Amino acid sequence: MVGPIYIFVVALFVAFLTPFFDKISRKMAITMLLFALGFMTYVAGSWLYQFIGGAQTTMIYTAGFKPPVSISLQLGFNESVFILMINVVAFFTGIYLLDYFKKMSVYSIALFLLMVMGLNGMVMTRDFFNLFVFSEIASIATYSLIAFEKNLKSFTAGFKYLIAGSIASSLFLVGVIYLYRITGTLNIDTMIASSSLLVGKGSFVAIFLLFIALIIELKPFPANGWAIDVYEAVNPGIAAMISGAVVAASYFVLAKALPAFGPEWYSVVAWIGIITFVGSNLLGIKQEKSRRLLGYSSLGQVGLLMVILGFSDILGEKRDFIAFAMIISHFFAKAGLFWIAGIIKKDNMKDWSILRRKPMLLVLFGTFIFALIGFPPFPSFFGKWELIMGFMKNGLYLWVAFILLSSFFEGLYLFRWFGYALKLDDNDVKELTVGASKFIPTLVFGVALYGFGYYMGTFVDSAKNLNYIPLIFIAFIGLIDVFPAWIKNTFSIAGVVAYSYMIYPNFQDDFLKMIFLFIFLGGAVITLFGGYYAKGRRAGFHAMALTMFAGLLMLVEASNLMQLFYGWELMSIGSYFLLIRGKKSMPHGLSYMLFSLGGAYAIMYGFGLAYAGSGTFDLIALKNISIFPALAYSLMLIGFMTKTASIGLHVWLPGAHGEAVADIHFMASAILLKAGVYGIIIVLLAMGTETSYAKTILYVLGWVGAISALVGNLTAVFQESAKRLLAWSSIGQIGYIIFALASMSYIGWVGGLFYTIAHFLYKGILFSVIGGIALKLGTAYMYKMGGLIKRMPFSFVAVLMAIITLAGIPPLMGFTGKWLFYNIILTKELFFQGIIVMVSGMIAFLYLYRLIDTIFLGQLKDEHRNVKEISVALLIPVYAMLGVIMYFSIFPTKLLKPLSQLAQKYFPENAMTFANGTAITKFGYFNGTSIFIVVMVIFAVVVSWLAYKTRGFHTVKQFNIVYSGESPDRPETTHFAWNFLAGYRKGLGFIVEPYFDRFWDWISDAVHGIADQARRIYTGNGQTYALQIIVYTVVVYFFVNGGF
Amino acid sequence: MVIISIIGIMLVLIGLWGTLTQKNLIKIVVGFAILDTGVNIIMVSVGFIKVNANHVGEALSKHAVVGGEADPVPSALVLTAIVVGLAVTALMLSYVIKMYREKSSMNIDDYKELRW
Repeated sequence: MVGPIYIFVVALFVAFLTPFFDKISRKMAITMLLFALGFMTYVAGSWLYQFIGGAQTTMIYTAGFKPPVSISLQLGFNESVFILMINVVAFFTGIYLLDYFKKMSVYSIALFLLMVMGLNGMVMTRDFFNLFVFSEIASIATYSLIAFEKNLKSFTAGFKYLIAGSIASSLFLVGVIYLYRITGTLNIDTMIASSSLLVGKGSFVAIFLLFIALIIELKPFPANGWAIDVYEAVNPGIAAMISGAVVAASYFVLAKALPAFGPEWYSVVAWIGIITFVGSNLLGIKQEKSRRLLGYSSLGQVGLLMVILGFSDILGEKRDFIAFAMIISHFFAKAGLFWIAGIIKKDNMKDWSILRRKPMLLVLFGTFIFALIGFPPFPSFFGKWELIMGFMKNGLYLWVAFILLSSFFEGLYLFRWFGYALKLDDNDVKELTVGASKFIPTLVFGVALYGFGYYMGTFVDSAKNLNYIPLIFIAFIGLIDVFPAWIKNTFSIAGVVAYSYMIYPNFQDDFLKMIFLFIFLGGAVITLFGGYYAKGRRAGFHAMALTMFAGLLMLVEASNLMQLFYGWELMSIGSYFLLIRGKKSMPHGLSYMLFSLGGAYAIMYGFGLAYAGSGTFDLIALKNISIFPALAYSLMLIGFMTKTASIGLHVWLPGAHGEAVADIHFMASAILLKAGVYGIIIVLLAMGTETSYAKTILYVLGWVGAISALVGNLTAVFQESAKRLLAWSSIGQIGYIIFALASMSYIGWVGGLFYTIAHFLYKGILFSVIGGIALKLGTAYMYKMGGLIKRMPFSFVAVLMAIITLAGIPPLMGFTGKWLFYNIILTKELFFQGIIVMVSGMIAFLYLYRLIDTIFLGQLKDEHRNVKEISVALLIPVYAMLGVIMYFSIFPTKLLKPLSQLAQKYFPENAMTFANGTAITKFGYFNGTSIFIVVMVIFAVVVSWLAYKTRGFHTVKQFNIVYSGESPDRPETTHFAWNFLAGYRKGLGFIVEPYFDRFWDWISDAVHGIADQARRIYTGNGQTYALQIIVYTVVVYFFVNGGF
Repeated sequence: MVIISIIGIMLVLIGLWGTLTQKNLIKIVVGFAILDTGVNIIMVSVGFIKVNANHVGEALSKHAVVGGEADPVPSALVLTAIVVGLAVTALMLSYVIKMYREKSSMNIDDYKELRW
């Protein structure tokens, strides 16, 4: 075991000898640097290993004295964790900066080492003055390193940093010396022991000065303009050190000093933290420069750490877990992001599209972004969960609201940035070269995030039995991403089938879960099968599709709130990547993610309230919520409705779905939306109907469903793109389901669940076929199609059958759904909403007719003369689903009976009865089989009669007509399919005005405007920053002291 | 001795005033140097206050510190602080030189490249 003192010995030794090594060769100097950093990492690591094994904390005294005379260093579990982090990031930054060290002055090597040594000392020392010395060593080394960067930006940033740092250290010194005068010691432990001496005004001022100096080192908002400048200007390698190592060390210093100050200072830290977290993230959203953006984000993260620290008493023993989960995510992610920023050397976020040249780097970029925001499977996810739940349990509702709001802002700017890199329309993407020395550290940190994500999960009780099998399988699919699509497709389908077989026994008694498993897993197999149409590699598609399905699966499998949320978030990630694959999908991807994020936080808040009341994460906690139940249920419903795209929360859907390709459109619309339905079902079951707030919520929910149905269907009528038409139609269709579920009655649930299955089937067919056609023709605009019936007969039949089902025309299963809906309306006497729902059903005829009329009938376009039927890979699943529809159309009771049993479990009254394939309610009876036979007989008679009468007719060929001259400027406007149902627009257009789009645009503009104005406090003037620090100090003093 | 503490505090305030009001970069650095000196004087004064002023006077007249009467720790700290302050001041001045070379201006208001 190497003594920790050798960390300092080796660092100093190598640092001072660096110029001599350089005389031999620069290579030698750099090798010695890496050797020293490696050695320091080893020492830290080996001690950590000992402590995990149960070793005791050790004290190291210098010069043979005991404190307070000597300098005392302490190395325990916490210290070893932090110095390991510091040394690891230093080691990898050392590798990353190889080129930098080669061409810079040799002193940069020595300074770098001294900086790392200073940070190690800051963590280990137990002496306030010694702390000052170590932090000055680290700071002065950092200031000097900044000066090596030879440009004006670095110089001004470094100068501002120096001013701020000097003010902080002056305050620190004065505070320390008075504390020494009062307590007679500089040792933190002795000072804690003699805290009884710290009474009176003098002590208060002394503590305050020390305290505020430590706070300023942590860069509190708004006295932190200088820090953002530093992040923007310095070499990204150094910035990674500042954001990773310096932040970790500063946090640790505050954490160990606070006990000496007394308990009343913790709440001050929390307030400063929350102001910093909210302020930094709010001001960050207007930012377009990537490194400056990272600066804002770094400061925000430190704010969150201060909040965690400030509530140490409430979080109790979980504090260290939460803080570590946050720090470690921030640490790896920020270092990685700064490193990537250094690789691409572009500061404007919009130039990051260059990353597309290096897919691996893009994957790492995504990893870091998602880890920062706190998505699974990263450590920050668990940290955030435990933090929010801990706060909620202790009644810090407003704090949680601010934390979540601020996290949302952070998500906003990070995802915008990510969207630029992933999807910004930029044809002129330049080449990008990445050296191994820069790539390897980034890769290591990216992989480490996944490892720690798993590791941290093992400490969270509610995540203990989390199912990692799907995730491992996804990782496998991700690793074989270089193979052609059909190989990955086969593996994926095999994986899903095998997994379904494996878990089937666990769910066969629970029909509700079975329905959704059928939709999610059956949907997975069907859509993946459809994916065989794709040629080439389809990079990343399979891993992301499986991520979405794994999330959906986890949603159903979840045995507690945490797992439910895990699944929800996982599904959001996967679906985001699927939706953003389409052309021109960047803005829609962002709005989708923002609604997902906002929805997820709403759900989290609701779960938090449920947990706060019940003290358990079990799903039972959702029942009888005792704290703000109306708010909790509303938030959960709103959260889940962001995925069902109900009216008001739907603005992301038309664009995102309209741009998605065939099978992804299927996944997103027919399958993904059902996740929201599942969530709503869980909430409604838990909420019940008895309480007065439940009645109100259900009433509102019913209206939301009805209006969604009306607006969704009506807007679909006026679309020119077939895919957008279907997207809007989905909003309407899910509206039906919500309306039915909100009725909270036996018949409503039979109807709602029946529609859930039917919608999956017929929409699946429509998405696959229409998507396939759009793929073949290269356009989804209906006025560019026509006459395809001869070219695509199989598609035609499938679409025809699907829209007959959708429209609820007998004899197919949609008619059964219609019948159920009439029953709901009559049973619950919801005549007003019922009329709206019924009218929307009629409106659906308009656009469904349009699909057939404009795509398959009419004149075949010249350029489509040789177009072929859509891919067999898409048609096979389509016809399989058609088979299922036929089966349930002929034998509807096969589906109605189990649904009836299921609904009876929750709503025993007014159940329908069955007799010989006939379903009987109090309003009438329904026999699908006989309806089918009757309709088919009539149909056959009519068709044969027409065939008989029209025999021998001469068929007119397409060009047996005469044109009359001129061609107009915009030919599509003369096409009959253009503005097809314009007449209706005149009458009903006011309903489909994009009111909600305008509302959300207004919110967005307002927030961005506020952020833009507010960030002007960062004037760029070093003197103003100094003044801000002084004023900040005075203001904090004023608040802490309650006056002067 | 209270008077020394007061002198120290005044120097700190003067230094602070200088750094916050002067536009000239060199003057700002000088302000910091004054502030730093003030802090050092405050530290030294604390060491004296620890024991009775008469005793200190006696001790000083004998050119030897009598055991336990004058506290050696603040003096030791001040030495370190002076060294650190020197390094910071030197670094500030070198920054000023570098900034001046880039833009030929000594006015801090001219260095606002990084903002918002």
